[in-house]
Amino acid sequence: MRRKREQITWRELQDVSLQELETQLRPVFLAAVAGDAAAYRLFLDTISMRLRGYLRGMLARAGRTEPGEVEDVLQETLLALHLSQHTYDPASPVTAWAHAIARHKLVDHLRRSGRHAGNLPLDDEAYQLAGPADDAAAEARLDLERAMAALPERTRRLIDRVKLKGASVAEAAQAAGMTETAAKVAIHRGLQAMAHFLSRRGERPE
Amino acid sequence: MQTDDLITVMVAGHRPVDTRWLRRATWFCALAALTLTTALVLLILGVRADIAGAWLTRPVIAKAMLGASVASIALVLFQRSLRPGLKPGRALPLVAIPVALVAAGALVTLAQAPVEQWSGLIFGRYWRACLVAVPLYALVPLVILYGLARRGAPVDGRLTGACAGLASAGLATLAYSLHCPDDAAPFLATWYTLAIAAVAGLGALLFPRLLRW
Repeated sequence: MRRKREQITWRELQDVSLQELETQLRPVFLAAVAGDAAAYRLFLDTISMRLRGYLRGMLARAGRTEPGEVEDVLQETLLALHLSQHTYDPASPVTAWAHAIARHKLVDHLRRSGRHAGNLPLDDEAYQLAGPADDAAAEARLDLERAMAALPERTRRLIDRVKLKGASVAEAAQAAGMTETAAKVAIHRGLQAMAHFLSRRGERPE
Repeated sequence: MQTDDLITVMVAGHRPVDTRWLRRATWFCALAALTLTTALVLLILGVRADIAGAWLTRPVIAKAMLGASVASIALVLFQRSLRPGLKPGRALPLVAIPVALVAAGALVTLAQAPVEQWSGLIFGRYWRACLVAVPLYALVPLVILYGLARRGAPVDGRLTGACAGLASAGLATLAYSLHCPDDAAPFLATWYTLAIAAVAGLGALLFPRLLRW
């Protein structure tokens, strides 16, 4: 299984059918769930390209064409995927799991921003139709930035260090004077707080 | 923050994940809820006076079986409804099987009894008590299951709520069967079924409003 995973590259994963994607991606995600960080990275890179195409198509149908909005919903979806990994049933398709979460976040986003989601086409066919994967990441709007700003100082600096300098967790943890495990827990809590911030935003008119 | 940066941060914070936790937690919560609900029924209402002779008779077993089967089916679906991508809603009609069996038993009883007795068989002595007690005691499991639902990823809040309601009412039925002195099958089929449906409706109504993630 390990060798198979190493053979898969980004390029190969870009334009495959949903069925092929599932066959290739499931072992990758199972390895990720077992704790393999490199596999997790590959999973997130691959699924985010796929979901970007899906979200762009769906938002266009709802009359939204601003690329920054696609990126916002994608980031919210990725946060939700990250925080809901324990809800994945290993016997089920990982693409269906990710897609159901993306759809939930999309509907939630449209509801919050005051648009009716009722006429979005129903899931399965739409997912198939959603077209090619899309690795053209757009500039996100400022939502995640604001979510970051609401974090405690210590957590924000830890996340910044990991993000900007590309430092390993071990290095970032050392610089912050914590153990690696404590740093991972802090990052997890920070992501949780950011997801919470994002899902509450726009609930009341600001 | 760019999407690529977000992914970097998520990978940095990544740790092994236990995908079986949700299933274990569901059964643990159900067991805890059943214990708590039963304790409350026994403390507040007490057991029926003739429990020693009655607990192995058909009516009491039928009540307990109705509660246990509805709860078991609903708990399985509840747990699955917390996992995106599964479609447990398709299996929801399974809950109708135990209810249909009870209804069939009730019809047989009524068919064998003279019409003058029907009212007594249906209304028993304490139909109001049953109709109030089962939904009321079901609130205990319902709150516990709500707490669990918040830790899952329910993409269909109404389904999760209906399943939680069915499971809670099933557990409350199981607990209340130790107290309820009405044994006729038509009584069981009418009031318990109504009570279970009411709690399912309550769950389906409340959960979508409360479960935002």
